[in-house]
Amino acid sequence: MPKNKVPWFAVRQDLSGRRQSLLALLSFALPIGLWCLVSYVPSIWHPDVRLHISAEREGSSTVYTPGNHLGKDHFQRFVQTIREQNLEIQRYWRGEQEVTEPPRMVRRSNQRVLRQIGRFAVANGWLERDERQDDEKLFEIWRGLAEGELRGREQRLTEENLEILRANWAWLEEMETFSAAALPAIPLQQLLPQGRPANPVFLPNPHDVVLSWWDLFSEEPTGEGKTLRERLGYSLRIVFSGFLLSCLIGLPLGVLCGTYNLFSRLFEPFVDFFRYMPAPVFSTLLVAIFGAHDAPKIALIFVGTFFQMVLVIAKTTRLLDRSLLEAAQTLGAKNRHLVLKVIVPGVMPNVYNDLRILLGWAWTWLVIAELIGVKAGLTEFIETQGRWRNFDLVFPVIITIGLIGFATDQLLAFLRRFLFPWEPKGYRLSLNWLTEGHRKE
Amino acid sequence: MKNRLLQKLLRPLALLGVGIGGSSMLSAEPLRIAYSDWPGWVAWEIGIQKGWFAEEGVDVEFLWFDYVASMDAYAAGQVDAVTVTNGDMLVTGATGKPSVAILINDISNGNDMIVARPGIETIADLEGKTIGVEEGFVCHLLLLKGLESVGLSADDVTIINTPTEETPQVLASGAVDAIGAWQPNSGQALRSVADSTPVYTSADVPGLIYDLLVVDPATLEDRRDDWMAVVRVWYRIVDYLMDDDNFDEALAILANRVQVSPEEYEALFFGTKILTLEQALEAWEPGEGLDSVFGSSDVVNAFNVSNGVYDELLDVENYFDPSLVREFAESLEE
Repeated sequence: MPKNKVPWFAVRQDLSGRRQSLLALLSFALPIGLWCLVSYVPSIWHPDVRLHISAEREGSSTVYTPGNHLGKDHFQRFVQTIREQNLEIQRYWRGEQEVTEPPRMVRRSNQRVLRQIGRFAVANGWLERDERQDDEKLFEIWRGLAEGELRGREQRLTEENLEILRANWAWLEEMETFSAAALPAIPLQQLLPQGRPANPVFLPNPHDVVLSWWDLFSEEPTGEGKTLRERLGYSLRIVFSGFLLSCLIGLPLGVLCGTYNLFSRLFEPFVDFFRYMPAPVFSTLLVAIFGAHDAPKIALIFVGTFFQMVLVIAKTTRLLDRSLLEAAQTLGAKNRHLVLKVIVPGVMPNVYNDLRILLGWAWTWLVIAELIGVKAGLTEFIETQGRWRNFDLVFPVIITIGLIGFATDQLLAFLRRFLFPWEPKGYRLSLNWLTEGHRKE
Repeated sequence: MKNRLLQKLLRPLALLGVGIGGSSMLSAEPLRIAYSDWPGWVAWEIGIQKGWFAEEGVDVEFLWFDYVASMDAYAAGQVDAVTVTNGDMLVTGATGKPSVAILINDISNGNDMIVARPGIETIADLEGKTIGVEEGFVCHLLLLKGLESVGLSADDVTIINTPTEETPQVLASGAVDAIGAWQPNSGQALRSVADSTPVYTSADVPGLIYDLLVVDPATLEDRRDDWMAVVRVWYRIVDYLMDDDNFDEALAILANRVQVSPEEYEALFFGTKILTLEQALEAWEPGEGLDSVFGSSDVVNAFNVSNGVYDELLDVENYFDPSLVREFAESLEE
């Protein structure tokens, strides 16, 4: 067939392979492109300011740290408050006012002033991420900034902040090297909050998501808390444990129900009744029976998939072409042979497809299962980070789950060909959208 | 029994590499302690990370929960001990689960808050408003105390039962006018709604909220020595926290457990007043006012009854056992 003969808008006709593949790629490129557009064109939206330097307001319980988002108006007021506080502080230094706070507390807050540039220094590559509170190194960075040796590539201090920094440095440089005890017992002026325009927290920039994806998955175990790779391993174990357990009982039972009316009548009505009870309603019960760790989670996935599985597989089994059975019987096959040599191989390819769908269910239940008892796995991570509105950390995890599900399904679809060579087509669920078109040509 | 049997049935699967229950099931039973995100309890993390429990010769397993879930796990007998406030211990006790407090971790000193949206400046402004708190638990108590202080009562507001962990989102959504929560949730609420303010905090009623380690009386009887070791670990933690030189390291451990930054944690840390051994011994003395954990609990007890949280006054004395802490203090004097 010559290429590109089918017009773009042809009613119920397949486009050429090349075009199909192109469209398939576009289906990903469009949403990602839109996301990039909204993220990187500052004139579109960007109602917030994302802080890279924060400050402390006296008498306020609300604490902002770098990375937090503030509305633009709110940010302006925030800056103004710190400016006014600094004016007050200058009066201490001019001797117009006595410091009433104990020196210990003042030194500590001065140490925090020094650390104000921690994240800023990390962003500029002057510090490693875990050195944000390394006061000796911060002290040297202050020196560099005050003497104009460091300027910053990614982020720069405003002129106003540079002045404050130099004014502070005049009091600090006597120390030569950092010592917490040698910090002045008079408050230092704080750097004013700085930030850049940003979209709301729930829409992080694509590159931030990619970067945090890399950070999260390359993290090495430190003994403190679990790394994301460990969590992923845990979640996979829970999903597949629950699912395999369910297969172990559900598969044979489903085939039996589909084969013998006896089993069908004996089990299916109850199973049918039970599946209407949503799995999560059993969560507290499962915790009471199985404890708080892994067992109730696996049990929840089992409850969520098992009952559906029995019914679906029984139905698939019943759909087996009757003529196959008749043919076998004509050739003299008896009960046991009919089941093992005809029904089982006959339904397996379709059952295999059912299982692929049911595996998707298992993933759905995982999200609930990991929240019961002691929270664990990927879901715990999503929950905690989402709670603190760190959505730039949540997105990579969500996308990873999607990718894993997608990859598993594609792999299973691929394996199907080798597992069931006797089944030429069967119904095809796989989304082999990229290669599909080409193959047809 | 049933529990064991099922676990046994599932064990072969674990051996098949399916992995149920983990290895803890096979070893000797550690003390199981449920803890949650309150700063005074997160402090246990220091003992865990530093391996002090092993050094003191006790095998413990700390289980991380949301607060209410931790009490549920305790009430269901899933754990041997739980970290709760004195008020919530009574509430749990009223449901029939026997409990006894053996340790006072701290007094809430501002970290429990009623946070209101912009435009509401004082607790009196809450009249006729909708408030999201976890019903029957500590912040509900704080809210009612606050309302009482300005001559209002529970009938003057609408309460929406909201899990404390969800309160920041709920306040941000605009569905309520105020929420009740403790740090770090309350801090998150303040941050997520610009110009929201704490209209009433535990610093307004210091001593109303004591934070405790509460154990099942049966395990206390069976394994008193182990619990003594837990008390020893706690006071190692307190000593460590009181030393300024450790402050940054301590903040890093605490902040990491609840996944916030150390900078943020520093700002909220002093809203929880960790009691030194001396301060704790004073609080353990029976007395009438809020300076005594007994007096405070009497107040809460009466309050709970008058607000219909439970029907009859509980015998507060039965819920406390200061003997371990006293014994520990004596052992230091020798």
